[in-house]
Amino acid sequence: MADAPKETPISSVLVESLVIMKIIRHGASTFPTPATGAIVGMDQNGVLEITNTFAFPTGDVANTDGAHQNDASALAAAAPRAKANMVYQNDMIRHLKEVNVDANGVGWYTTAAMGNFINLNFIENQYHYQKDNDQTVALVNDVSRSSQGALNLRAFRLSPAFMTMFKEGKFTTESLQKSKLTFKDILVELPVTVHNSHLLTSYIHQFPGFPTKAEVDMPASVSDILKADVKLPLYPSVDTLDLSIDPFLEKSCDLLLDSIESHYTELNNHQYYQRQMAREQTKITAWQTKRKAENAARAAAKQEPLPEDEWQRLFKIPQEPSRLEALLNAKQVEQYSKQIDGFTANVSAKMFAVRGNLMPE
Amino acid sequence: MSRFFTGGDSSSESSSDEEELYSSEEEGQDQAQKDDSDEDESEEEEDESESESSDEEGGRSGAARFLRGEDSESEDSDEDRVKTVKSAKDKRFQELESIIKAIENGQKINDWGSISNEFDKLNRHASKVGESGKPPKIYIRALVELEDFMNETISKQKVTPKKMNATNARGLNAVKQKIKKVTKDYQTQVDAFKADEDEFMKSEDEAPAPKVRKPKATDTYTEAAADADEEGFSTIGKGGKTLQFTPESIFKHLRGIMESRGKKNTDRLEQIKIMEKLYSVAVTPYQQIRVLLTLVSARFDLSAGGTATSMPLEQWKAAEQDISNLFEVLNKNQDHIVFEGAEEWEDDEKPPTLQDGEKYIKVPGSIVSYIERLDDELTRSLQSIDPHTSEYIERLTDEGSLYNVIFRGQLYYEHLRKDSSLETPQDSVNRIVMRRLEHVYYKPAQVVKILEENAWKTAPAGFESTITPQADVADATNLLNVLCNYLFINSEGIIRARAMLCQIYFLALHDEYYRARDMMLMSHLQETINSFDVLTQILYNRTLVQVGLCAFRKGLVYDAQNTLQEICGSGRQKELLAQGVMIQRFAQVSPEQERLEKQRQLPFHMHINLELLECVYLTCSMLLEIPLLAQTGSSPDVKKRVISKTYRRMLEYHERQIFTGPPENTRDHVMQASRALAAGEWKKSINFVHSIKIWDLMPDTEGIKTMLSKQIQEEGLRTYLFTYAPFYDTLAVTTLSSMFELEDRKVAAIVSKMISHEELAAALDQVTSTVIFRKGVELSRLQSLALTLSDKAAQLIETNERTLEQRTQGTANAFDRRGQNQRGGARGGGQRGGRGGARGGGGQRQAGGTQFTGGALGAAVRG
Repeated sequence: MADAPKETPISSVLVESLVIMKIIRHGASTFPTPATGAIVGMDQNGVLEITNTFAFPTGDVANTDGAHQNDASALAAAAPRAKANMVYQNDMIRHLKEVNVDANGVGWYTTAAMGNFINLNFIENQYHYQKDNDQTVALVNDVSRSSQGALNLRAFRLSPAFMTMFKEGKFTTESLQKSKLTFKDILVELPVTVHNSHLLTSYIHQFPGFPTKAEVDMPASVSDILKADVKLPLYPSVDTLDLSIDPFLEKSCDLLLDSIESHYTELNNHQYYQRQMAREQTKITAWQTKRKAENAARAAAKQEPLPEDEWQRLFKIPQEPSRLEALLNAKQVEQYSKQIDGFTANVSAKMFAVRGNLMPE
Repeated sequence: MSRFFTGGDSSSESSSDEEELYSSEEEGQDQAQKDDSDEDESEEEEDESESESSDEEGGRSGAARFLRGEDSESEDSDEDRVKTVKSAKDKRFQELESIIKAIENGQKINDWGSISNEFDKLNRHASKVGESGKPPKIYIRALVELEDFMNETISKQKVTPKKMNATNARGLNAVKQKIKKVTKDYQTQVDAFKADEDEFMKSEDEAPAPKVRKPKATDTYTEAAADADEEGFSTIGKGGKTLQFTPESIFKHLRGIMESRGKKNTDRLEQIKIMEKLYSVAVTPYQQIRVLLTLVSARFDLSAGGTATSMPLEQWKAAEQDISNLFEVLNKNQDHIVFEGAEEWEDDEKPPTLQDGEKYIKVPGSIVSYIERLDDELTRSLQSIDPHTSEYIERLTDEGSLYNVIFRGQLYYEHLRKDSSLETPQDSVNRIVMRRLEHVYYKPAQVVKILEENAWKTAPAGFESTITPQADVADATNLLNVLCNYLFINSEGIIRARAMLCQIYFLALHDEYYRARDMMLMSHLQETINSFDVLTQILYNRTLVQVGLCAFRKGLVYDAQNTLQEICGSGRQKELLAQGVMIQRFAQVSPEQERLEKQRQLPFHMHINLELLECVYLTCSMLLEIPLLAQTGSSPDVKKRVISKTYRRMLEYHERQIFTGPPENTRDHVMQASRALAAGEWKKSINFVHSIKIWDLMPDTEGIKTMLSKQIQEEGLRTYLFTYAPFYDTLAVTTLSSMFELEDRKVAAIVSKMISHEELAAALDQVTSTVIFRKGVELSRLQSLALTLSDKAAQLIETNERTLEQRTQGTANAFDRRGQNQRGGARGGGQRGGRGGARGGGGQRQAGGTQFTGGALGAAVRG
């Protein structure tokens, strides 16, 4: 059924509110361990409609305590690729089919805290899905940020260029230069639209809001009712006026510092490699010149020249460390910076608003 | 064809025609020898080395021993024919040729085992033949051929999957190594041969011809000597060899012994016994000196085989005695000197006599080498003895006599130096003075004094040392000074560095911290130490540690910690100080390395107590780290500042323990003291530190303990202020002084110091003598994080710029630097000052706090 739409690459994602509710619920219950699950739906004219979801079981997370938290989160993060889960996923999809729900796996979701989701696990998971079916996305729900107000749900795909690179598994400086791949080209973000069914919309509209006045003005006439403004449910929200800046920025700074730290580690690794490389190179050149001189001497003595390509056997050129980590790290830093940028833009507006009120006229 | 070639052919193929032709020339002259040699041939066949020496001794030069088959054949066939007789030289050549033939045979069947054996023989013979000058040419030819064949075989070996059998492979390897060595020795000849084979071989045609004549003359001489010898036969030695000990025959015996040196089947003990007897019969000083010199080297040879084993005790003592005797003899006979550069006296018959115009009879030998060897042997023996036995102590007493020998040696060399005509190399004197220094530097002054007194007693009366006059060196410090100054002036390189280190060590040991430190810093050794040999590096480490301990004794905690950090922070103290072999978990150590490592180990009595060292290091770290920990608290930017990683790790480990029992070892004590200090319980901390038993090993234990108490009180006060400052508005100095039992003045001083270093946001009110804290000056967490972040960003810019500079080789103006302010310009100012500039930028950042410094981004940010 996925044959026809493959021709038009998906350009946006339409998420059912049911899916979102399920993801939020799952993410909140496992926090801070990341939660992962599969999403089902179908794509239509470049729009990927996500209609349902189910969580992946992550082994025995329940009985692992704090000490094994790392194990648990690693387990959860690797869940989409786990063999058992693939079987589980197929079974689930078959069951869903039986109850006449969309039974077409279109990707997976994960949760993150403060946008720290760009890592090798994420890439590998998405690669795992995308290599089989190009029309898959990864939904990322940032639990920490969602809890601070607005929902933070984003959809990502791996760029085709990155897919080919990753397939080759070679992330050397040379190959990166050739393909001109930068950290900006790893992920493609897709716009997410939340879609409610009409039934749900009308249900929400019937939510009893808080009475704004003690006495309700009774409509005088039918035309009053007809002309009256449609009051949006759950509106206005005061959450967005929250002014606590420090916790968010502190956390972001911490994460940013961590990333920079790991950047330095990568840098050191690479420098070490370069030094090693230079050392080997000088050794090889020395060997080559020596062998050349030897051969010249042998030629003078009318003897067979010695082979000159033996250095390949004698010397081991060190393996260049993969640049993938560095790439991802850069992407992660970019992600944090954007996050902070967005946040501060919001906050400064709020701060001005506050000051405007407080300033004496 | 040369005569030698003829000989070679005849020997292998027994073409006796040519042989005859050739031999008939010499027939007449050598007739006399012939009979003897024919008879002896068969007996002498077996052991070539023996026969070699007997050749020398008896002068019965058998003709071509290795040709017995052919010879006897010819003997059988024509009994009455005149036998060929050849000179000793010719015979050797024949032997060589026959061996070469054997090697060729081996090559044909690829039997490397036998080739290896033959090659050994060949080398031995060749060295004998070539003693006088150039190596024989056929030898060179054989060498080159063998090498080619070997290379061929090796390359073949690489191609074919079939493996050689074990013996062959072993033989091949042996030959490979030997050939390398030998070819190096005869490089020029080999090259000449390779360059032009024919020419080389031709040139020999003329060369050996005159040589042949010479041996004949000597032959007759040896003949006569042999005759003379035979008359005096008295003792029958082992193996039917005739031995006789008369003063006249001494040299002959010595020569025999010298020649058998390094050979396999020689019984060295037997030889030593012979020589001891020889010494007892030696009458002239020349004889005595010669015998003693040979005897000492023979004794040393005993232990030369296995490098790990040390010399037997009695042999060492005997050697020491012999060297002393040697000094006695030399002292009595001032006209005899032992001198490295002297020429070998070839004539065994008549001892050298004083020539006109020469002051001395020179005997070749190196006393300094003997002394060094004696010293090394003692060290080696001490290494192998368990240091906790009485045996060790007994052995250690020998050091005194060794020191005496060294001292005598020094006197002797000074004596030689007095005569400028001898040109005694400065190096020898340096070496011997260095040895003396090395026996002194690590000892306390009293011990040195006793050593010195004993040494002067053994010296002949009236002897005065020019380097170390007796009057000047009565005091150990002076002695050290004199010795080191001598070496500073007269030596260079490693010996100079070692002398410097020894002096620093001695100074540090005797609590002269500032002098030791200044010397250490002025020596600039820390920059070059890596280029020295391992032993010197070990000495450097030892010195460093000793300086650190000295600083601690002086109460200079900060300096002590800094000095010890490098050694103790590494966790490899044992290895660095050569006081034990570390078991390496990850790296594979080859037996060779391990053996070397073992050889480097210091004998126990020179050890620096590692536990005491650790204790001092940890205590110092505690006194520095605990206030620092209290100061940094949770702020992330200073968190990274760690003085001692080792200490931090231990502390963390200690804090993680669920239950902490009473302290057992030094480390526990220090850790618990640290915890108490961090909690402000300085009295408890002092108790813990004082109950460490190892302080007793320090001189002036009480002094050290009071010093520690004082330090702990002060650091406790600092820690308290760091920890609890946020909770106070004001704090009376008197409260603090009563709390920490310090004087008011002292408290005020500490507080002022902290305020001036901006460690404490407070002011000191002199009138009411209170500390008034300022509030709200601390950075919030977010602020400090932001600061760290900006620092990091600046660092990144720097790294990037440096990379760019590297890439562009600093040529082009990679950035458009217009619009940058002066600071930015100065920082990136030039490729030359790249690093320095960067550092300067860092400093400014430190001071300025939040500023971005320099760089393109810096300018951009500032707009």
